[in-house]
Amino acid sequence: MAGYRPSYSRVFLTFARNSLVRDMSFRTNFILQSISTVSWTIMNIGFYLIVFQYTDSIGEDTGWGRDEFFVFLATTWIINSLVQTFFMPNAQQFSELIRSGNLDFALLKPIDTQFVISFPRVDWAALSNLFMGLTLLGYSLFQLTTRETNPLILDWRAVLMYPFYIACGTVIMYSVMITLASTSVWLGRNQTLYNFWFYITNFSRYPMEIYKVGWGMALWVFFTFLIPVLLVVNIPARIMAKPLNTMETHYWQLAGYSIFATLICLTVSRRIFVRALKSYRSASS
Amino acid sequence: MPMALIELNNLQKTYRVYQKKEGLRASIKGLFKRKYKEVQAVRGIDLQVEQGEFVAFLGPNGAGKTTTLKLLSGVIHPTAGSATVMGHIPWRRENDYRRRFALVMGQKNQLWWDLPAQESFRLHQQIYGIEPDTFQHTLDELSDLLGLRELLSQPVRELSLGERMKMELTAALLHSPEVLFLDEPTIGLDVVAQHNIQQFLKYYQEKRKITILLTSHYMKDVAALCKRVVIIADGQIQYDGSLSGIIDETTNRKLVTLQFADPIDKRLLGSLKRFGHIVHHEAPRVKLGVTRDDVPAMLTAILDAYDIDDLIVEEPPLEEVIADVFARVSETSATQSELGLSRSNDTQVGEAE
Repeated sequence: MAGYRPSYSRVFLTFARNSLVRDMSFRTNFILQSISTVSWTIMNIGFYLIVFQYTDSIGEDTGWGRDEFFVFLATTWIINSLVQTFFMPNAQQFSELIRSGNLDFALLKPIDTQFVISFPRVDWAALSNLFMGLTLLGYSLFQLTTRETNPLILDWRAVLMYPFYIACGTVIMYSVMITLASTSVWLGRNQTLYNFWFYITNFSRYPMEIYKVGWGMALWVFFTFLIPVLLVVNIPARIMAKPLNTMETHYWQLAGYSIFATLICLTVSRRIFVRALKSYRSASS
Repeated sequence: MPMALIELNNLQKTYRVYQKKEGLRASIKGLFKRKYKEVQAVRGIDLQVEQGEFVAFLGPNGAGKTTTLKLLSGVIHPTAGSATVMGHIPWRRENDYRRRFALVMGQKNQLWWDLPAQESFRLHQQIYGIEPDTFQHTLDELSDLLGLRELLSQPVRELSLGERMKMELTAALLHSPEVLFLDEPTIGLDVVAQHNIQQFLKYYQEKRKITILLTSHYMKDVAALCKRVVIIADGQIQYDGSLSGIIDETTNRKLVTLQFADPIDKRLLGSLKRFGHIVHHEAPRVKLGVTRDDVPAMLTAILDAYDIDDLIVEEPPLEEVIADVFARVSETSATQSELGLSRSNDTQVGEAE
């Protein structure tokens, strides 16, 4: 009995299944949500199509032409949809559990509390963007590899590194969110979660080269080293969109640092989470 | 000396509460400078509970009953003191401990609102790692006892309050806890539902010999279930013993009801006052509160002087006796703070930026 551990994967599958059953029972809501997510995505791409009517690339000599940038955009969508499907509803819920005192029940369960807080809800409707992202990725890569001048040759190392860095990026985003939600313990209420998410994803969804001019450097340093959200999309997108053999040394360094940053973010957020639980007061019944 | 199953030593919990004043101006001021008040929810509780006991915590709102249960469940950390339950320190939240107890709160629910209770139960099965056979057997047993079979596949939001409470109880008992903490499990329920839950708890506790700590505002819950009663008021234990013992220990009053053959007039009421105070009168009956030792002498005198049709001598109702205890405690603490005698770590008003 003493060494007993619950099966985390099975608990997670039940969470996912229960969420699906729940989402399905509000069918129209589910469909509307999927439609609104996909429409936003389509408008998004429409906007960039307009931008590329005025210019050939994002920033001069950055190599972010239309199709390269669409790989970047697809990466943004993939990561965002993963975060919104698996973590966003839970971080939001966590904040609410703290305020209402219903976190009690999570604390009673013989299973890691951070796990049981981070995964109970899966927002399946948000997953529609993952498919949009994968489609755009496929399309852009097809364009890049079949263009007449200087076609991209897919490197197997890039194909392996891409999902790995997507995972790293998702973990960084998760850490930032769980940290933010944990602060509800001290603040009583923290409704800035969605706003904050919007602000930081705003920074993370452009190639980092555009910040490396003038005072943009300050932003670059801040969002690379302090809150490393610039790495989230940039590293996997760069690896996939452009040939690996032309990748600059500092990009390789950032890619290495990215792994380190992921681990640091996860550790720090875990610490803050545990610290928050100690201060939890359990709003009275 | 063998340790008791549940043991609390000088357990204390203090909260810091933001003192918000009324009005917009005060709210704006509060943005910059806040006044906090230290509230001692639990101020040093010593308690021992043996295996198989069914103990009731009684006390007015805010007495510290729920806080004590939350401390014992490890949901919150104490400010001072110690506690062990089955040899575990609750707030360490070891999985070995968490698999062995359960907490049910009448005011909070843990079941997924939009899903049938069954789905939440399955989740519990996995989190607690209950064998499928054992799980099915326990669930069948509990749903038969509580009459829930037909409701298992209905979304929780469509259940009545009573049904939901039964589902919450089922969820809490699926892993067969050895210790059960119940925080007002019958709150807001109608008499029938209350009775059902009482009957169930009684049966279950006797059969499984588990240890239960219960808080409730309903004296009926307590009278039906618990041999031992702990009265908590003002964050401290005021009484610990049997239910009937409360009356013996805390009041020396008896109630005497007299039924007069003759009509009751003002003069008669006036002359009765020397025996005790009149609690209630409605012709032809008068109810008097009398000091216990005076009862025999009083009865002799009254039977001599008046024509009495009927006579009842009884203990005062439990609710009243307990309400008296609560009132006395709050009076004492009020006088103490007025006189500046409050315990050194009592309510302090401090300021913080």
